[in-house]
Amino acid sequence: MTTMAEKNRMSPRRRAVNVLVHLLLAVLALIWVLPIFWIILTSFRAEPGAYTNTFLPQGYTLNNYVKLLTDRNVLNFPKMFKNTLIIAVCCCICSTFFVLSVSYSLSRMRFRFRKPYMNIAMILGLFPGFMAMIAQYFILKAMGLTEGSLIRIGLIIVYSACTGLGFQIAKGFFDTIPRSIDEAAVMDGATQWQVFTRITMPLSKPIVIYTVMTSFIAPWVDFIFAKVLCRANADQFTVAIGLWNMLQKEYIYQWYTCFAAGAVLISIPIAALFLYMQRFYVEGMSGAVKG
Amino acid sequence: MGNKQISARNALRYGDLYTRLSAVVMGAGLIGHKQIVKGLLVLLFQAAFVFYMINTGIHSLSMMPSLGTQEQGKVWNEAKQIFEYTTGDNSQQILLAGVVALFVIAAIIVLWILQMRHSYKIQLIKEQGGHVPTLKEDLRSLLDQNLHMTLMTLPCLGILIFNIVPLVYMISMAFTTYSKEDNHLMLFDWDGLHQFQRVLNMNGNIGRQFWHVLAWTIVWAIFATFLNYILGMILAMIINRKDTKGKGFWRFCFVLSIAVPQFVTLMIMNIMLQPSGAINVLLQNLGLISSPLPFWQNAMWARITIIVINLWVGIPYTMLQVTGILQNIPNELYEAAKMDGAGPVRIFFKITLPYMLFVTTPYLISSFVGNINNFNVIYLLSGGGPTYVGDTAGQTDLLVTWLYKLTVDQQYYNLGAVIGIMTFIILTIVTLVTYRNSTSYKNEEAFM
Amino acid sequence: MATVSLQHIQKIYPNTVEEKKRKKKDDDAPKRKNNLKITEEGVVAVDDFNLEIADKEFIVLVGPSGCGKSTTLRMVAGLEDITRGDLYIDGVRMNDVAPKDRDIAMVFQNYALYPHMTVRQNLEFPLELRHVPKEQMNKQVNEAAEILGITEYLERKPKALSGGQRQRVAIGRAIVREPKVLLMDEPLSNLDAKLRNQMRAEIIKLRQRIDTTFIYVTHDQTEAMTLGDRIVIMKDGEIQQIGTPQEVFNKPVNTFVAGFIGMPQMNFYDGQLKLENDQYVVEVQGARIIPSEDKQERLKKHNVPAMQVTVGARPEHITLDEREGAMMEGRVDVSEMMGSSVHIHLNSDGNDSIIIVPTLDLGDRTLRTGDTVRFTFAPNVLHLFDPETGRNLEY
Repeated sequence: MTTMAEKNRMSPRRRAVNVLVHLLLAVLALIWVLPIFWIILTSFRAEPGAYTNTFLPQGYTLNNYVKLLTDRNVLNFPKMFKNTLIIAVCCCICSTFFVLSVSYSLSRMRFRFRKPYMNIAMILGLFPGFMAMIAQYFILKAMGLTEGSLIRIGLIIVYSACTGLGFQIAKGFFDTIPRSIDEAAVMDGATQWQVFTRITMPLSKPIVIYTVMTSFIAPWVDFIFAKVLCRANADQFTVAIGLWNMLQKEYIYQWYTCFAAGAVLISIPIAALFLYMQRFYVEGMSGAVKG
Repeated sequence: MGNKQISARNALRYGDLYTRLSAVVMGAGLIGHKQIVKGLLVLLFQAAFVFYMINTGIHSLSMMPSLGTQEQGKVWNEAKQIFEYTTGDNSQQILLAGVVALFVIAAIIVLWILQMRHSYKIQLIKEQGGHVPTLKEDLRSLLDQNLHMTLMTLPCLGILIFNIVPLVYMISMAFTTYSKEDNHLMLFDWDGLHQFQRVLNMNGNIGRQFWHVLAWTIVWAIFATFLNYILGMILAMIINRKDTKGKGFWRFCFVLSIAVPQFVTLMIMNIMLQPSGAINVLLQNLGLISSPLPFWQNAMWARITIIVINLWVGIPYTMLQVTGILQNIPNELYEAAKMDGAGPVRIFFKITLPYMLFVTTPYLISSFVGNINNFNVIYLLSGGGPTYVGDTAGQTDLLVTWLYKLTVDQQYYNLGAVIGIMTFIILTIVTLVTYRNSTSYKNEEAFM
Repeated sequence: MATVSLQHIQKIYPNTVEEKKRKKKDDDAPKRKNNLKITEEGVVAVDDFNLEIADKEFIVLVGPSGCGKSTTLRMVAGLEDITRGDLYIDGVRMNDVAPKDRDIAMVFQNYALYPHMTVRQNLEFPLELRHVPKEQMNKQVNEAAEILGITEYLERKPKALSGGQRQRVAIGRAIVREPKVLLMDEPLSNLDAKLRNQMRAEIIKLRQRIDTTFIYVTHDQTEAMTLGDRIVIMKDGEIQQIGTPQEVFNKPVNTFVAGFIGMPQMNFYDGQLKLENDQYVVEVQGARIIPSEDKQERLKKHNVPAMQVTVGARPEHITLDEREGAMMEGRVDVSEMMGSSVHIHLNSDGNDSIIIVPTLDLGDRTLRTGDTVRFTFAPNVLHLFDPETGRNLEY
């Protein structure tokens, strides 16, 4: 009874706080969800153009999606989708290998170049990302990878070449796997390669999945490098350039609602991947195997 | 093994015939000591190097000091009765070839040192009657104790070719006249520190813009980093409160905004906040305002809008990253503080914030660096604008977006490179000061 | 199944670049780090370690933490490089042989089981890497599981096992391939006291079932005494004494060994060694004790002069003695009833000491804090040490 009484005494203030907190969360959530909601609505909007006189659409249609997926003359979205998918798959394989290799080496092996490598990586990370972009373009040009379908290979190289610098998260994860497990495997007769593939990898599923997905997503959301490399080669465009182009002056009136449709289309898989990955992200941040 | 260190110098001083021979014919030491395949491989590299130097390397290097002199010209051809164009020198290609040649030379020097050391080491092993590893054993070691060589070679090559070489190339541009100004796009020259003077000189047009942009960049980075950090943390705490219902749902609402590709949301925000965009329309329809709000047209409005939108972008990220760490704060700390009669605000500033700062310093630094180099948010939202007439930098341009404009749009490559270097210097100072003092750097590998 | 020979083994952790820089700055930097010697090259973790291990012997390395015992074990395993000296197994030099080719197995303190494999897969792993045929692999795994009584857990993951079970699996994984030498690095220190006693007994039994040379590292002297054929006592990277449990207990070579072995600790008193009529006499806190015949002889053999000495006596060798006269006197601080015996903590002349008295001897008498008691020790069990060097004067 005393506890009940105490609870009652506490409750008005506590309840008021609770209501306030939930209200605040609701308002915040609205702010965060509203733009996303709005873009979904826009993708079904019947009236063309970027700007309308009403906040909500007046009529609804599926035509935006149809146009986006069937119009192959002006902006060939299906082709862009195919380009991006090819690039994303290749890039995903290369960068996953790069990131995991470098992270494992830095976490588990001891060699003279280790500390210098980490310092160099830190220094390189301080340069503005695309300061090197122009020169990269020239180098790819010298290699002959800036024409026709070779642009794809160029993009794959650009996206994966420097991923060896992004080892921090995976290394942090590997660091949390007890060293004695490796040592036990070495005593059991495993080579370092076997330790890597048969012990560390299976134990690091979260971070492997995380790495695979981040490297898969990268080509879908980058438009700077793609723009520089593709220039006017419309048939090599990736989805990101396509969407970017739809908002340029010459296209925006005709294509704005299609842009919304395209945004929704590529956001769905990426969002799904991300929501799935989020668990691994948090796990990766807080460490791996215990005991 | 005595106390003789295995170094290239000792190899020259104490090496036997083969080892010394490899100073001239690389790989000779290895071949002489029965590591034939390895030796041949090294020799092959030397041959390739010599071939490269004779073919292009020497020429590339010799052009470096002048960066080309031959202008593209028109010559009247009497026989054909037409103007013929002579190909001029392309300074930018000369510079790139020169940088590459320098890297190739550096690489061969490293290889030379390595093979000297290696053949000296094998010589010592032999002298002591030790076992010289066979090719098979060497190959096997690449999957065992030398696995890092196997794993790191490709990533390192990638970084070298597509990051370090380009960076050196761009940095060297800062010291040239490579720019659209005075028509130096084809043929340019070394220019010393002239461009740096221009940028740092507060009285000149470029210098004025630089200090302006720098000030805004730093203000932006501080606001973007710390506001995101603190507000994200508070949001995470509110959601994790014991009494909050539907934690998963709230978290989902916020995480959803990260899940949508950033460039998409940013472009949408840009459109929504235009004078006739959705937000203005909504506010006007509700009768709250009579004329559109100048989100992008007024410098102050634009800056605040950007910071606020960046909160929209960044807070969920912080929330996600901080949640796990928040739960690691020992509960006793809170209980002790409550016993001492501290309120929620005091607890936040006395316990939560110090603890979080202690744990997440590296995260804060990297997010500060990320914000200074935050291209997407500025470029997609305001495009750096509004821009005053006669300026290349807009009122909301960061150093990076200005760098992008200077190089890609204006083709002021040398100025762009200088801006890039300045950004790097600023970031280095910030990072060194904070990172060096952070505990997580010091404890990366504590003595057992 | 193998002899192991360690000759002049030394382990030096090189100074890091930063430490070298620091050293340049101030020359009078401390010459020791955690009591380890520091030379030009770095921190000396193990110094001049010599030990011949016979076939099937059970050797225990024991010492306080940081004494270099684990480092030594890891050098035998091949997990650490040997800076100087030679390691032979069955007469073959092993310094540069990879761990997997040394035919050695190791049990780790934290078990180090592979969390993603079942117990069976854990046991199969070392065999699989050696390409043992499937049938024989099954046989060996089942045998090992049988020996350790883990047959019923074979299909479980390590997570689903208790600490003691995990430790059995870890041992099982080590013995399944019948290694020449079995190394154990504090295998029991993660277990609670009761399990530890149980597992200790199991290890003794295990030893009888498999023919292997054991090297066992622990910081717990009880484990060392009960398990080892011979014990190697280490401190600050150096061997203090090698001997059978009886030897190190009865004839400790210095105060460190004397204090480390035996529970509760040996008591030390300042005393005076005198030569009277060609006979040694020890004076401690007013008490006069004449060492026994054999001790007299050994002291004479070493020509020990009359000098200040540290007198050591084990708690169980001290007896209460109520007679007046040449006895020592102390005030009771605490008296702990342990069942068959009573541990009495005494303070005599500012010296703390513990004595163990059989409960029966006390009869109805109870000792309270502040009571004064008289005690003495038998002349044949006291130990005499040089107070400067700590060396036992008899050996």
